[in-house]
Amino acid sequence: MSEAHANEINEVKEPTKAEKVAKAIADRFPEAEVQVKTNKWGRQRVWVRIPREKYRELMGFIKALDREAHYSIGIEQDWGDELGFLSHLVIHYDDAPAVSLIVDVHAPKDDPVIPDISEVFPIALQFEREGMEMVGIDFEGAPDKRRLFLPDDFPEGIYPLRLDDKGVSEEMVKNAGHPYYLKGGAKK
Amino acid sequence: MDAVTGLVYPVAGLLGLYAFVSLASLVWEGIDRKLVARMQRRIGPPILQPLYDFLKLSSKETIIPSTANYMFRAAPVLALATAIALLAYTPVGFTPILASKGDVIVFIYLLTLISFFKMLGAISSGNPYAKIGAAREATVMVSREPAMMLAIFTIMWRIGKLGVPKPFSMGVFYVHNIWEIGTPMSFVGAVILLYVFCVWLASEIEVGFFNIPDAEEEIAEGLLVEYSGRYLALLKLTNAMKAFISASLVVAIFFPWGISGYFNLTGLSANVADLLFHTLKVFALLFVVQSVFRAVTGRLKITQAVDFLWKNVFLASLVGSLLIAMEVIM
Amino acid sequence: MTEKVEYWVKIPFGPIHPGLEEPEKFILTLDGERIVDVDVKLGYNLRGIQWIALRRNYIQIMYLAERMCGICSFSHNHTYTRAVEEAGGIEVPERAEYIRVIIGELERIHSHLLNLGVLAHDIGYDTLLHLTWLAREKVMDTLEAVSGNRVNYSMVTIGGVRRDIDEKKRKIILDMIKYYHEVFPQIEEAFLHDPTIEARFRDTAVISKRVALEQGAVGPTGRGSGIRDDARWSERLGVYPDLGIKPVMPQDVTGERPRGDVFDRMAVRIGELWESLELIEHALDGMPDGKIKAFPKDNVLYAKLRLMVDGEGIGRYEAPRGELVHYVRGKKGSDKPLRWKPREPTFPNLFSVAKGVIGDQVADFVVAVASIDPCLSCTDRVAVIQDGKKKILTEKDLLKESIRKTREINPDIKGDPTPVGSSCSR
Repeated sequence: MSEAHANEINEVKEPTKAEKVAKAIADRFPEAEVQVKTNKWGRQRVWVRIPREKYRELMGFIKALDREAHYSIGIEQDWGDELGFLSHLVIHYDDAPAVSLIVDVHAPKDDPVIPDISEVFPIALQFEREGMEMVGIDFEGAPDKRRLFLPDDFPEGIYPLRLDDKGVSEEMVKNAGHPYYLKGGAKK
Repeated sequence: MDAVTGLVYPVAGLLGLYAFVSLASLVWEGIDRKLVARMQRRIGPPILQPLYDFLKLSSKETIIPSTANYMFRAAPVLALATAIALLAYTPVGFTPILASKGDVIVFIYLLTLISFFKMLGAISSGNPYAKIGAAREATVMVSREPAMMLAIFTIMWRIGKLGVPKPFSMGVFYVHNIWEIGTPMSFVGAVILLYVFCVWLASEIEVGFFNIPDAEEEIAEGLLVEYSGRYLALLKLTNAMKAFISASLVVAIFFPWGISGYFNLTGLSANVADLLFHTLKVFALLFVVQSVFRAVTGRLKITQAVDFLWKNVFLASLVGSLLIAMEVIM
Repeated sequence: MTEKVEYWVKIPFGPIHPGLEEPEKFILTLDGERIVDVDVKLGYNLRGIQWIALRRNYIQIMYLAERMCGICSFSHNHTYTRAVEEAGGIEVPERAEYIRVIIGELERIHSHLLNLGVLAHDIGYDTLLHLTWLAREKVMDTLEAVSGNRVNYSMVTIGGVRRDIDEKKRKIILDMIKYYHEVFPQIEEAFLHDPTIEARFRDTAVISKRVALEQGAVGPTGRGSGIRDDARWSERLGVYPDLGIKPVMPQDVTGERPRGDVFDRMAVRIGELWESLELIEHALDGMPDGKIKAFPKDNVLYAKLRLMVDGEGIGRYEAPRGELVHYVRGKKGSDKPLRWKPREPTFPNLFSVAKGVIGDQVADFVVAVASIDPCLSCTDRVAVIQDGKKKILTEKDLLKESIRKTREINPDIKGDPTPVGSSCSR
């Protein structure tokens, strides 16, 4: 990750839009970890890590910051002992550069419950449906819990993108994997 | 009149006509596809492609959906039978074989019956797309026919005033034609009615704006969606013949002149010469109404098409009819 | 009896339908011709790409990303590369940035021309389809000359581009620009001023700004509804700001306020065709000399990525269909990303249009779907396999099943259905 990091909001120069957003979030949610990272071509992104209790509140706060906030992606992932759901939002895009905001929320695997935010961002529901079927996060209060991508006869309790034993086992895999390793199904 | 002239000749004539028209209409479809392809800068299929398609489809297996009832199988046969019967009343360069007083009603009746059978078959297939297609076909049908009927009855009545042996018969066009009425008003009226008939023809053969019941991209060929094999072949042939017959009507009304008179032909040879010349005229008309029209437009929505047919075409038909009938009424 | 009885029917639209280019299922609830409700079922193109990616290294995923979709292959590859570069802190030479712009805009031209043709085809206006696609051949040829392929260009690599644009290729591109300066006015005339097109596209499938915001519509779909965002512009991506990028809005093309209908989306695409041409011209003029790759060889790159990528990276790019996002998370010492997830623009757009088309007619549906330029094969990218519970179907089983079904439909079928010759030995 790039060198620039962390909350240097108290710098003398005029704070950028991203830094202002970071400061607003850090002030409002003291329990959140907020970082502003700059990549090699000078693009700043705000990375926020929030406990799941405050997740919905934070999303509401972001929506209040910019009513036209654009929810662009929800990423479900397996962190080993935790399941994560990471959202990328674009706000303040009325002039360039827009603020790129990344919100990460984690839940332990034995209680994979994350609040649903489809009331704030309706499109998030579709990413949540994907998260539910792919890694088995349970979105509390999601209005639509049907499967989105997986076929309806896909076995229950198997989540394809889980890295542990709830993932796809070797026996289930056919016609996949690297062509040189066809015999053993998927390549390890 | 003995049995031979009363029965054998008409039947033989009808069969000959049927063979010729089915061939000619399929060939026209090939020419149309080729021409449109050239307009779109494509190469296009061979001109005989529809004929090959017909032969191929007739030899293919026919799949009947399990939801279909017997009408699904009966409808294509009935539609083709209707088309063949219709040929006996169609002016194809000479007075129709079974022309008699008032047969215009039979003509219109049989023409709509073809669409009716197609709809019946589609509804019987149990496919939702076919049902949507049938509903669209019915909607377009009730919107397009009044304009045509009004116009054709007015024209026949007006020509009847000029003195014909069998009024309201399809043969009257070869006695007097619409341009012989003679007043400037009637000339304008005739031009307006020509427009009405061209639009009617386009909607009858479902091209351009009116490719609605069979819209491939929207409802997957609509009426034809469940048909395959022989039944599809029959329906394709019926459609092609219907295009020829509908165009024949327009040609007979507006361009009825034959060529046999110029060559002093009589009897059968006169009929054959007129038929060939008529076919040429049909092709020319279809080139404008079908090929060019479908190359330069897309299809409308059903509501827009109905609006267009009532507010534009029916109105034009009303105005044209009034203009033609004017000096008789006054 | 004052109660109104409603005769609603549900019809499946897809997975296979002549109006849809790719398999995807919509369940339409219809009241006559009027659409009452639309439900989207995805997943008919699932190839398990994310799952496969868990077993590939960074360089192999570049090819995988490219093969998610033929039309936006550059976009996926590019965005993935951006994400890895951000995660690894890799700098890209400036000349490479310019070449990326050129290929990206060439791809945009070809994609937009394709979509315009599809739109025309969906209203049965085949002449326009053939003319636009004829014009599209030129850019395809140019792409082939520049990159070696008509699709799947493989131009981008992590830390630069693979092939340089030399004087000869530059001349080919300039030729193409000249050709399009003649052809685009014709296309613009045909699409913006044709009465049939106007009748079918105006006020069809209106996505209001509110729905577009709620459903996160992006790209021409979002801009057509009045959301002024373009990822190339709002992200200040690479050298795009220097080239004068700005979001193309419908009012720039039609001169009217955006209404969010099919026509506006199409107008945005036409405006973007011109913008892309300009961007290519500027990029060709301003291209500096220098290196095109940060790492000269793939094996060096492989070794470097193992060490450098540690953490998360987001790549954002405006694909022809809208904002494309890739996310990559890596760990030092591993040559594989721990997580890679792409989100393609069709995903939110599909849900926006499903909301927008409610109340319209069946005839509008296929136009509406085409108007977001759906790339369904991009959207379906995730899952893995057939059923694990009952039995696993392989190619042979599927063949057997289909033969069985055919016999069921028609017991006295003739002919031998066993495949002739040797197919894939799997």
